[in-house]
Amino acid sequence: MLAPGGVLTLLVVVLPFLVAVYISFLDLDQYTFRRWVHAPFTGIDNYVDAWRHSDLLHAVWVSGSAAVIATVVALPVGMAAALTTHNRFPGRAAVRSIYLIPYVLPAFVVGTVWRIILAPDGVANNLLHRLGLDTSGANGLWLNGPRSYWALIAVQIWASWPLIYLLVLAGLQSIDHSLHEAAALDGAGWWTKLRSIVVPHLRGPVALGLLITVLHIFNSFTLPFVLFGVPSPHDVEVLPVLTYVESFQNFRFGLSAAMAVVSLLLILIPLLVYLRAVRLDVGEDDR
Amino acid sequence: MKSREAAVTRLLPRPLHAALTTILLLIVLGPIVYVFLASTNTDLSVAAGDFWPKHVSFVNYHRIWSTVELGKGLTNSVIVSGTVAVASAVVAVGSAYVLVRHRFRGRLTILRGLVGLQSVPGTLLLLPVFVLFATLANTLGITIIGTRWALFVTYLSFALPFSTWVMVTYLRGLPAEVSEAARVDGASEWQILTRIVMPLSWPGLVVSAIFAFLLGWNDVLFASVITNVDTRTAAVALQVFGATQEGGAIPVYGQMMAAALVCALPVVILYLVFQRYLISGLTAGGGK
Repeated sequence: MLAPGGVLTLLVVVLPFLVAVYISFLDLDQYTFRRWVHAPFTGIDNYVDAWRHSDLLHAVWVSGSAAVIATVVALPVGMAAALTTHNRFPGRAAVRSIYLIPYVLPAFVVGTVWRIILAPDGVANNLLHRLGLDTSGANGLWLNGPRSYWALIAVQIWASWPLIYLLVLAGLQSIDHSLHEAAALDGAGWWTKLRSIVVPHLRGPVALGLLITVLHIFNSFTLPFVLFGVPSPHDVEVLPVLTYVESFQNFRFGLSAAMAVVSLLLILIPLLVYLRAVRLDVGEDDR
Repeated sequence: MKSREAAVTRLLPRPLHAALTTILLLIVLGPIVYVFLASTNTDLSVAAGDFWPKHVSFVNYHRIWSTVELGKGLTNSVIVSGTVAVASAVVAVGSAYVLVRHRFRGRLTILRGLVGLQSVPGTLLLLPVFVLFATLANTLGITIIGTRWALFVTYLSFALPFSTWVMVTYLRGLPAEVSEAARVDGASEWQILTRIVMPLSWPGLVVSAIFAFLLGWNDVLFASVITNVDTRTAAVALQVFGATQEGGAIPVYGQMMAAALVCALPVVILYLVFQRYLISGLTAGGGK
């Protein structure tokens, strides 16, 4: 019964993975593409090329820094949301449902929507203007030029804080009731209680939430692709989009494959940390 | 008693609670309300940055079906994602059953693989999948790229690791005694799976099917490369609106917003209906 799933995964995940690594050693372009097996083998030339003559390093920087900044900002937002829905109040179920909407919406919808909100004369600039903020810098552009980097981060935050919220909420609810009782007996104020009881308990879920969110944003293709379109503005040329463009716009397949392999190597370390954190097995006790 | 209980577990003072809740709701609902308003607005008014429509009209909800073949896109999305959902749930429950109830060499490696594969960047596999489909099509003399089959196979294999993982976390919670008892009674493994495990684990099946459905529904990366005009999904069709202008230089903003809402609707409905089960799946990767 393991066979169908196993065979499919081997065929469509493991085999392409090996092909990806192989292609990254080939001089493959649109001319050699049809007979790709016979394309000239060039060793690590593509990797050297990616390092020296492409936007790879810049893209790694953009993807990595945006992922870290967005995650760091999403953390307090997610924690605040979890704190507001931990205790019962009328309408809590509705609030909980609403909090998850940004996470549930498809990334291609989120990208389309924000693309219009952030348009040069769009509603975002209009609103900022009414609040008395000067939006004329950078020609009021959010989807192009230096500000686009911050637009990407802002939209990533909007879309990804609910996952942290979910994990933190689950963590909050697993705090033992006797701890709440003890805090009440000692007459601890809410801030003391948060600092000395709640926060220490949330280390596990928070660490996991940060890790998953960074990985998720680092790998995200659809949101930047839809939000900024291709060719992507240089300031927001993230690694997944760059890899895509090298393949399907510039037809430099070998170079693109090398970039893809590099992106896998980059996420390998956080991924291994994550794998250690996830409980893989039930252990022998409940057999 | 109940009010004392509330006082003991309370984490935030009342005014702060109200303030935070209001701000968060505004952050989430602001853009969503705006999208709805813009979908009833004129393109000119949206382009000028108006929040409230000058004239409310639902004409955009009519126009979206003819401007771009959105109907065809939605149909393709439903067919491909729907079949992927059913197929992956069925395959996943079989794999997960073996992984949970049997001990064998390499089992932990497979479990690690299930979690790890979820984080492999899609861009890594896009090019080789494309190359392999093209080669296979050349060798066999058939069309693969551009068919729904190509999408189906791709999404299925991407959905399987996660679906299987969700089922593994679910089946762990079922008592082993039930299937043991059936085995003692002489039931075959297949009978145990189809008659006992599957009926008992339908909430898990629903969750893993929905996640597989969403994976197909939300994908742009693969669909933008391996579909053509006839087989493209709703996600790709929505991108076409961005390149469409009607009689002037202003994009069809109102229609884009209406179409975006239509594309999001099935996902939001699925989520609202199955919310209780889905949240356990959302945190399945983080269940510790």
